[in-house]
Amino acid sequence: MALEVRLRARGPIPLDVAFRAEAGEVLALVGPSGAGKTTVLRSIAGFWHPEAAWIAVNGTTWLDTEARVNRPAHRRRLGVVFQAYALFPHMSAVHNVMAAMECADAAEARRLLHLVNLHGLETRRPAQLSGGQQQRVALARALARRPQALLLDEPFSAVDRATRERLQEEVSALRAHLDMPVVLVTHDMAEAQLLADRMVVIVAGHMVAEGPTAAVMADPAALRAMGIRELAAMLPATIAEQDADGLTRLDGPAGPLFLPGLSDPPGTRVRMRIPAQDVILSRQRPEGLSAQNIVPGRVLRSVSGTGPGVLVHIDVAGHEIVARITRRAALQMDLRPGDLVHAILKSMSVARGQVIRAPDGDDD
Amino acid sequence: MDWTALWLSLRLAGWTVVFLLPVAVIAGRALAYRRFPAKGLVEALVMLPLVLPPTVFGFYLLVAFGGNSPVGDLWQRLFGHQLVFSFEGLVMASVIFNLPFAIQPAQRGFEAVPVEVREAAATCGMSPARSLWRVELPLAWPGVMTAMVLTFAHTLGEFGIVLMVGGSIPGETRTIAIAIYDRVQAFDMQGAATMSAVLVGISLVTIALTYWLSARVGRRLS
Amino acid sequence: MPSFLSRRGVGAALAAGLVALCPLRLSADSEAPLIAAASDLQFAVTEVAEAFTAETGQAVRLSFGSTGNFARQIREGAPFEVFMAADEAFIADLHADGFTEGAGDLYALGRIAIVTPEGAALTPDANLDALEAMLAAGEITRFAIANPEHAPYGMRAREALISRGLWDDLQPVMVLGENVSQAAQFALSGNAAGGIIAYSLALAPEVAARGTHALIPEDWHEPLRQRMVLLNGAGPGAEAFYAYIQTPEARAIMARHGFSLPGDE
Repeated sequence: MALEVRLRARGPIPLDVAFRAEAGEVLALVGPSGAGKTTVLRSIAGFWHPEAAWIAVNGTTWLDTEARVNRPAHRRRLGVVFQAYALFPHMSAVHNVMAAMECADAAEARRLLHLVNLHGLETRRPAQLSGGQQQRVALARALARRPQALLLDEPFSAVDRATRERLQEEVSALRAHLDMPVVLVTHDMAEAQLLADRMVVIVAGHMVAEGPTAAVMADPAALRAMGIRELAAMLPATIAEQDADGLTRLDGPAGPLFLPGLSDPPGTRVRMRIPAQDVILSRQRPEGLSAQNIVPGRVLRSVSGTGPGVLVHIDVAGHEIVARITRRAALQMDLRPGDLVHAILKSMSVARGQVIRAPDGDDD
Repeated sequence: MDWTALWLSLRLAGWTVVFLLPVAVIAGRALAYRRFPAKGLVEALVMLPLVLPPTVFGFYLLVAFGGNSPVGDLWQRLFGHQLVFSFEGLVMASVIFNLPFAIQPAQRGFEAVPVEVREAAATCGMSPARSLWRVELPLAWPGVMTAMVLTFAHTLGEFGIVLMVGGSIPGETRTIAIAIYDRVQAFDMQGAATMSAVLVGISLVTIALTYWLSARVGRRLS
Repeated sequence: MPSFLSRRGVGAALAAGLVALCPLRLSADSEAPLIAAASDLQFAVTEVAEAFTAETGQAVRLSFGSTGNFARQIREGAPFEVFMAADEAFIADLHADGFTEGAGDLYALGRIAIVTPEGAALTPDANLDALEAMLAAGEITRFAIANPEHAPYGMRAREALISRGLWDDLQPVMVLGENVSQAAQFALSGNAAGGIIAYSLALAPEVAARGTHALIPEDWHEPLRQRMVLLNGAGPGAEAFYAYIQTPEARAIMARHGFSLPGDE
């Protein structure tokens, strides 16, 4: 059950993208505002199409400008979560969900609302729900359609940060139930990195990078488009124990890691996002530092760009993290591939919002 | 108190609403959602009865439907009597000159339905007809109701066009507004006063209804 | 969703009830005969119709207005069955153009009168001396007559004023009523010095209570030979009423309202 998209237009919005998302895969469309990500999503949904387009789901062609095939939006089996939720204001939550069903099934609607963690609020109208709750209803409604593809258009941008992080976790947890391709539009690289298996970076309507998330994150062209500050690595770990002073001890690939306040039970597998600019390097294992996380590893390579920074890629027991240090520091330290080096991570900078439960089947 | 005239006015207003309700929904919706080159012209044409003096309008209606016109001729042949000076002629004239009162508020009602909500309806698998019934009409309904109430109230009070197209035929085209005029001419001030009071009462009720309904348009969507 | 439907259900039921209760067309056959009568006949013919209904049990529907206006409407197909004009010429024209059954009958001779509102400065006199004097002194604010274009009583008022030599001077302050009833309204409203209206209207209690009047000499204007006619398609009820107007009872009523009767001159 794959979603295949090919879009090309000269104007008014220039567009040239082509990608494929498999069932159960989350594909993130990232790019700066105005890049055309929402346009791509609207084309898939059927609200617009460029001069040359081809969209097929599961082998069925939904749009083919050459063959003059264009299924109207209401006949495409899609689930869409809009940025502004777009719930039906005159219907309760459960009726909103039922509206997407062919045969209205109240029990199934309630089950879906349970699935998105909306308990006891089924009869409330959207005006009586918070932003986060409305977004959950929107998600349940999208799923109620039994869609062949799920489209999320910046679904978390309209809520506050705490709610956004919680929703991201929940969506990640939901992935076990999603056996269809999921396209997520976001301008937040961190969010894309946390949730997506594949990424497509769009700038001014053109694809700058496309592929698995890790590969795109290492792609200089993508980084240039998204900004070097977005560069980060993902490190897997398992929660071991909650310490009394508020820190959680995790078993990382190269030793214990300490992070504040993760509430999940021991044994939970997580992935941590480590922004490159928050990594300090040291040749010796430092003493007397406030930082609790000191991760030993071996230098893979150093990459210097046009700016004052140098990216140092470090292998940590088979996983890769990246550190961004000044060129002067790189010269002073004289790091060479194969050198032993310690990466120092502040616990507080790898905090909530940068940790996500690993999807099932995510073996390190 | 001329009860026949009041009943005639209520029937005229009622039938006008019955005919204009589908027009208001279809035209109001089309004008709200679509953008097309002639849209400004169409909207201006819809508003025309509001700015034309009733006598001008009545004159053109007479020319269009009168005994010497093709329409009037056809009607005479089909039904054995004239279209003008008949209740049916009044209904026809009433439907035309009430177009702005019916279409405009309905259009506003549909415009107030957010685009995302309509798109969401489509992504939920609703065909345009189903979306109209289950999503758009419930949300635009206060606008449509305002349109019908305004049409009803306006028809009750219309004088110039009714007089020109209908004459003042008791039981057929002598509406309550005309009857009041007739009573004044007969120096029956008492009768005129009674009927005027009744008409004012009905108009006040319809205005109050309109305000209440338009307040609901906002509350529906918040 | 259910709450919306039940509200709509009520609305729909109301609408259906409204529609069901009112047939688009009432059966025309059971309608009483439709009489078009000139405005000067407002009180006279109302009383004649009441007498007719009392005697025969048959109701009639009366419509009052300007003779000229009715003639136009009849030409456009208005469903009148009897036309009682304030004039002969309009009837003759309609007859010549084939709208009538026959040439009609003279049913009354009318007169015009000057009328002034209660407490007005102008006093009505048959010779219009007071009017002339006040006009010369510039004290006439407004003076009302029926529209001479299509109302016979307006035409006669104009003729009378011309022969008295006051027409040109009255032009600037002239107010025209759409029919002679409206002229009476204007004349007695208190906003006008007075006016020239139908004698039959001036005699009516409702009007007499609000002003004073004086008859204007007959030889100052063409006679008001009021003719009536049965129109094409007139039914038996209309014919009965038409015949009744010419009976002694009806003529007596007309005489009481200030009309002279043909054959009595």
